[in-house]
Amino acid sequence: MSFPDLNFSVLAPIGFVAVGAMVVLMGEVFLSRARTFLGREITEAWIGSMLALTSIVFLALAIYAAWAAFAAGSSAVFNPDNPMLRLDSFSALVSGVIALASLLSCALAIAYLADLRINHGEFYALVLLATAGMLLMVAAVDLLVVFLGLELMSIPIYVLAGFDRRKLRSNESALKYFVIGSFASAVLLYGMALLYGTAGATSFEAIRAGFDAESPMALIGLGLVVVGFAFKISSVPFHQWTPDVYEGAPSVVTAFMSVTVKIAAFATLMRLLALAFGGLGATLVDVLWVLAALTIFVGNVMAIIQENVKRLLAYSSVAHAGYLLIGFVTGTIEGYTAVLFYLFIYLFMNLGAFGVVVALAHRGQECERVESFAGLARSRPGLAALMTLFMISLAGIPGTAGFIAKFVVFSAAVKAGVIWLTILGVLMSVVSIYYYLRIPVLMYMKEPAEDAEFAEVSSGEALVLGLCAAAVLCFGILPNDLTLPLLGKLRLLDWAQESVKLLLGA
Amino acid sequence: MVPLEHVIGLSAILFAIGILGVVVRRNLIVILMSIELMLNATNLAFVGFNRMWPVFGGEPSLDGQVFVLMVITVAAAEVAVGLGIVIALFRNRDSVDVEEASLLKW
Repeated sequence: MSFPDLNFSVLAPIGFVAVGAMVVLMGEVFLSRARTFLGREITEAWIGSMLALTSIVFLALAIYAAWAAFAAGSSAVFNPDNPMLRLDSFSALVSGVIALASLLSCALAIAYLADLRINHGEFYALVLLATAGMLLMVAAVDLLVVFLGLELMSIPIYVLAGFDRRKLRSNESALKYFVIGSFASAVLLYGMALLYGTAGATSFEAIRAGFDAESPMALIGLGLVVVGFAFKISSVPFHQWTPDVYEGAPSVVTAFMSVTVKIAAFATLMRLLALAFGGLGATLVDVLWVLAALTIFVGNVMAIIQENVKRLLAYSSVAHAGYLLIGFVTGTIEGYTAVLFYLFIYLFMNLGAFGVVVALAHRGQECERVESFAGLARSRPGLAALMTLFMISLAGIPGTAGFIAKFVVFSAAVKAGVIWLTILGVLMSVVSIYYYLRIPVLMYMKEPAEDAEFAEVSSGEALVLGLCAAAVLCFGILPNDLTLPLLGKLRLLDWAQESVKLLLGA
Repeated sequence: MVPLEHVIGLSAILFAIGILGVVVRRNLIVILMSIELMLNATNLAFVGFNRMWPVFGGEPSLDGQVFVLMVITVAAAEVAVGLGIVIALFRNRDSVDVEEASLLKW
């Protein structure tokens, strides 16, 4: 037996993030022991920003590694004798995007954590660990790695949801996420066991070869795996945890998890469907059809009656999961491309919307009632304009990236003949305009409450919000040929298509 | 030798008991135990299936057994975090009853 020829470059993005987590964890211990650093007195706020900067550096390295792998267009496995991790253009692209979302969340967190007096260094370590899990998950070509990545992603996020541990609402959010999340993981795991039983091995390739659409065991296994993922992407009827967890968790955690978990889970599901289940069996299309229809309908209708912005955005994220599922129902290259593109755009608009909520938190108080946005345009015109932009983008109004994303999904669906679902999607997008535009109406047309006060916006928050807004506007006008001085041409749609084509082997 | 059907049947029964425990019981500690039961039922299924597939592609295969080792590790981490959350909640409210966790709804 010879030592396998390992390819460590595959581990580069995951490695940077994981090492970053260790550095941050150790850094917190040593810095909080020391009184001075290079001759200057150190404060808690200083430690927090140093740790945030360290995590940003490591995440930037991971983005760079992922980008290099994507640009090289290679498809490398870690251990050629027993492929479990594969860094191809699909996983490299998605890894880069996830790391970018984590980076923006870290920048958003600096002032917020200090404001809420929960400035513990573990925050950044947990964000990095969860990111490492997501990168592991999207690079997996084996059920074992999918499971490990999923848990490495979920467990730190359970902790993050309860990060403000003196607040009962945060505790409750963590509790609900933990119980439902680990229940979903167990269901997913049982599905994996049944799939292993039918195929005889856990690699995607073996499952594809051994999958027998007639065998009840294989079908139950497939069903349980889909249910497990439906919990993670918060598809109706497995969505009940979403509003509770999003509302109770600290806003910056909500911003982080609403974006990254969704991207990672959708990308992994796409890889599973493409590689392990050989496209979609006819049964699965019907199941996904029903899930998509329910998710779009319930998400949008429930969002109408919400009085809390974080809850409203939670139901909106449920609705967006429904639009994304339409892309899965098509099962075509265009459909999958549309899903991937939608996820990228969703990153910027959702992180932006939650970012505004984060920026408005002040002196230990969250600003999350819908009414508390009244008159914001007077006191914080910039924030009000940004919030309006994110809201109209989430609603899918032309001129913003949200419109292009919805357009791409719906046109792929029409091309594939998924007509009724498209009609439902378009109709419900119209409904969604009502609840999205309520916030701009309050901000611009109502007087502020007597005692209203809004926080100053920190530089980190301004940077993140500005970047998200620029992305929403630029990709809304030039989705496929935006040229930037340093980065060159950003062809999001083409990149998504290339990687999906390679994934599907077309 | 115990036939495979018995192993898988037992694991399915244990899994169902676990689900029932999560759904029916109100005490957080019992819910945690039920989740553990679900994970261990899965472990049993993996070991059972590995006996069905001792060889894969002409080579001896231990995929199921390796999976079990990983699941045990992950379950330990999960239960540690779960107990941590329960303790944080208990400190704020002196109760481990999930019915009382009702600040966030609708």
